[in-house]
Amino acid sequence: MDVFANLALGFSIALTPFNIFMAMVGVVLGTLIGALPGIGPVSGVALLLPLTFGMPPTSGIIMLAALYAGTMYGGTITSVLINTPGESASVVTCIDGYQMALQGRAGAALGIAALGSFAAGTVGVVLLMLMSPLLARWALSFGPPETFALMLLGLTTVTGLTGEHALKGYISMVLGLMLSMVGFDIISGDARYTGGIAEMLDGVDFLPVAIGLFGMGEVLAGAEEPGTGQILNARYGLRDVWPTATDWARSRWAIVRGTVLGFVVGVLPGAGPTIASFLAYTVERKVSRHPEEFGHGAIEGVAGPESANNAASAGAMVPMLTLGIPGSATTAVMLGGLMMWGLRPGPLLFEKNPDFVWGLIASQYVANAMLLILNIAFIPLFVRALRLPYSILMPLIIVFCITGSYSQSNKLWDVGQMLVFGVLGYGMKKLGYSPAALTLALVLGPLAERALRQSLIISESGVLILFQRPISAVLTTLALLAVAVPVVRAARGPWRSIRA
Amino acid sequence: MRLADRVGAALLLAFGAGYAATAARSYTYWGVHGPGAGFFPFWLGVALVVLAALFLVSAVHRSEPGPAWLPDGHGAVRLGVVVGASALFVALVPVLGMTLATALFLVGLLRFLEGHAWPVALGVAVATAAANWAIFTWWLGVPFPIGVLGF
Repeated sequence: MDVFANLALGFSIALTPFNIFMAMVGVVLGTLIGALPGIGPVSGVALLLPLTFGMPPTSGIIMLAALYAGTMYGGTITSVLINTPGESASVVTCIDGYQMALQGRAGAALGIAALGSFAAGTVGVVLLMLMSPLLARWALSFGPPETFALMLLGLTTVTGLTGEHALKGYISMVLGLMLSMVGFDIISGDARYTGGIAEMLDGVDFLPVAIGLFGMGEVLAGAEEPGTGQILNARYGLRDVWPTATDWARSRWAIVRGTVLGFVVGVLPGAGPTIASFLAYTVERKVSRHPEEFGHGAIEGVAGPESANNAASAGAMVPMLTLGIPGSATTAVMLGGLMMWGLRPGPLLFEKNPDFVWGLIASQYVANAMLLILNIAFIPLFVRALRLPYSILMPLIIVFCITGSYSQSNKLWDVGQMLVFGVLGYGMKKLGYSPAALTLALVLGPLAERALRQSLIISESGVLILFQRPISAVLTTLALLAVAVPVVRAARGPWRSIRA
Repeated sequence: MRLADRVGAALLLAFGAGYAATAARSYTYWGVHGPGAGFFPFWLGVALVVLAALFLVSAVHRSEPGPAWLPDGHGAVRLGVVVGASALFVALVPVLGMTLATALFLVGLLRFLEGHAWPVALGVAVATAAANWAIFTWWLGVPFPIGVLGF
């Protein structure tokens, strides 16, 4: 079997001492970053990206993917103990997790979350492993029109789902595409929108933008007020954490449903772990025989969403690796990393860099096993880390933003860019624009432009070529619908009030 | 937020128009081999104009002012201090070197903004500057700027 040979190759890479060490660093930092409020998976990946430049890309992605999985575990701790989500995919866990903690069952909530996350994460990687090669093989037949249509769909769905306000989301996306045009045009060599500044010829760099929008921007939003938060005391012995027979019976199917739902949602472009966890919670409340317990410490309300967000973080890797279209904001930043390491994301990745892809897949099994142990046995350690006040953490994150953005090319210009985008990210967040859409557009912009121009060169009927080939016709139509429906709805509001 | 939305929409509209105009005037829209350097940017500008116009219409006709988004007095001061200190940090790096600037920045924020005791502020600052140097300069080989003091 193909898969087994590849997996063996993967494990031979993932189990080298250095890569085991990188996975370990990733899971520990990920759990911490997930647990600390005000810094989540996107900022974590953006902040640690500079550290990976000195190592082989495979070790880099192993660390970042382990970190991504770790944040999904760590976010739970904060939700349950402080009633503040450590990251957005654990928002919904606050509802029943915190209630359980108030009833003295914090250990049980964290235990079922860790077990559910492990089951979902592992099944998610199995599905990722089985599905990705098939999808990649199919995508190999894509020409420029299909590639462009796919990027359009990726951009529009991510945008439609991440912003609170549809129009502001699409505006953010177009701004990102505009920024990506700065610098040399890859086809003609013309310099565009540089304003005569020499540093701008290379374009707007991805790393300072990502660190600025997600690291610095988040910190500034948190800097307005000194943070507070009471940590509930609880017991975390193995007996307190391991689920009882009743807990297990109630959570079993919630974990299964969360896993399936989470993976499917994760694979879809645009809908990442956060949306998966909200959907899973809704489903659990719908199918429950005692819906009145939800909101008062129902263990299914923790098990379902926590499984879903882990399965979704594995699912989000599928389109990133096979199509080069990220399924979530975090994978968008990883995709930017892939390009900086000199890899070309897309279907050819499986053929040209099997060691990278399979090393990553195998390392995800390793990371999930590490996370289970970490999150069953070492909960007290992470709880202690939560006592680090935000007033100390905030300046530290700023220092990391500054050194991280400097270290890519050793230029203070990049640090300046990072600060500008930090302030911009703060404003965007406050005003309801979407930094995630802007970042994704910045990554995909040059690729989308090239695919579109190539399509038009081979086309005999102009832009209609997008509708003349079956796959690109379906994808383009879906993308246009994804824009039109929310935009029309948002724009129609005022007209209705004028008529009334 | 209503005022911010109106002003924002108007600025975006102007920016989109300027962007499209630059593309049309300065770059090739359609060359001998097909679409040129100005083709995609031109349509991006048009897209922004359309979106911003829709946004402007909806913001102008909105009756309720919406939630406040700017921080109030105290929050605004904190925000200003943090942004200002970060900018000052970056400006000081070429003069003092990365390590010393990092330590000063941390002492400043921890002691004077957050009101931590001197030992805490100094301890965190020195430990962070050292760890930063160890990770980036010693391990990753990033040449941090060196200041007038020689480190």
